[in-house]
Amino acid sequence: MAAPRPQKPLELILARNLLTSISTPAFLLDDEAAVVFYNEAAAAMLGRTFEEAGRMDAEQWTRAFGPFDGGGSPVEVDALATTEAIRSGRPAHAEFTIKTADGERRSIEASAFPIVASEAGSSGAMVLFWPTNGASS
Amino acid sequence: MKLKVWGARGSVPSPGPHMNRYGGNTSCVQLTLASGEHLILDAGTGIRTLGLDLDGSERIHILLTHLHLDHIQGLMFFPPCFRSESEITIWGPSSPEASLEDRIARYISAPLSPVEVRELPCSVSFRDTPASEWELAGARIRSEAVTHRGPTLGYRITDGSGTIAYIPDHEPALGAPLADLEPEWISGYDLAQGADLLIHDCQYADDEYPDHVGWGHSGLTDTLTFARRTEAKRLMLFHHDPLHSDEYLDGFGATARGAWSDLGRDPTELEMGMEGAELELAPSAPVQSVHA
Repeated sequence: MAAPRPQKPLELILARNLLTSISTPAFLLDDEAAVVFYNEAAAAMLGRTFEEAGRMDAEQWTRAFGPFDGGGSPVEVDALATTEAIRSGRPAHAEFTIKTADGERRSIEASAFPIVASEAGSSGAMVLFWPTNGASS
Repeated sequence: MKLKVWGARGSVPSPGPHMNRYGGNTSCVQLTLASGEHLILDAGTGIRTLGLDLDGSERIHILLTHLHLDHIQGLMFFPPCFRSESEITIWGPSSPEASLEDRIARYISAPLSPVEVRELPCSVSFRDTPASEWELAGARIRSEAVTHRGPTLGYRITDGSGTIAYIPDHEPALGAPLADLEPEWISGYDLAQGADLLIHDCQYADDEYPDHVGWGHSGLTDTLTFARRTEAKRLMLFHHDPLHSDEYLDGFGATARGAWSDLGRDPTELEMGMEGAELELAPSAPVQSVHA
């Protein structure tokens, strides 16, 4: 049997509780930039619930949902605004295209807010996103 | 490890003829370790009478969960503070804003107090709790931040064969479905997991809780669910609401034992925090860590 995962830092737990309660699509990253939760509004946009998807590291997330740049090429993990938010401890904002579970591509804007605990440094980031001009080809 | 409750009340001292059995003093629990040394959990008003019981020769460690007044109010009336031979170490949550000493000194200073921290005749030091497990008087101690209003810790203390989890102010169900949530997402889970005794916030009855969501305290069903999920072996309901009389708490305890039984647990495993109560933890198997 696999060992249980270590408990999440409280600030990440509270962030998840908040995201669960809002209707803005949002996901939560841990300090390794893995997606550890996304809310129902995000699930509606992505076409898959978090319970179905589970935790995804950055590469898994990128393969499943993107993002892609304006030319349709996958964006490198290191170039993601969310990665920048975690590494620099500063908010970041970006526009890009994602791919839903059905293969549909959608243009979105995303704002990433780093979650920085007082002692341990960065615990992750909260990313809110919203569609811009709807579905694209 | 022995335990004595010196204060089980929450929020504000609540003396009075209808509060005598459960007591009106705020949070304070004394642990007597196998080494014979004492750890004091929180410094609510119960610590005053505890201090009268100490002879002054002991080295005293006080572990504060947080700095709300009901957890530090007794400090200024703790008799060892006024004995030159006393050596007191106060542990508490760190803050980027000010040192633990400076934050406590906001209470032990004018105009709220006739004395300043620097005027206390005892030898007192202030320490931020370490981020990792540490050892104190032969016991292994771990603290973690838990869901409450403001920076707040819970403690897990293991001494020899016994483990106590002390989380007197805690609202783990705030925005979180406790019954179904994965353990890694439950505030305080690691602290309480498999503890021989869990001392936990249960300030509200279920019908009171909806009016107090977000206040940092738990209702009965949430407390029982947390204890069940963490597989605590015994549970002490703690931090009683100041409006809850002895008669009310008798009924509350009966309701709690019934609900605990409905969860498939032995009702004798549940007890109400009561001022003056003493417990001795029976030896048990080591608690398995979820970090294994």
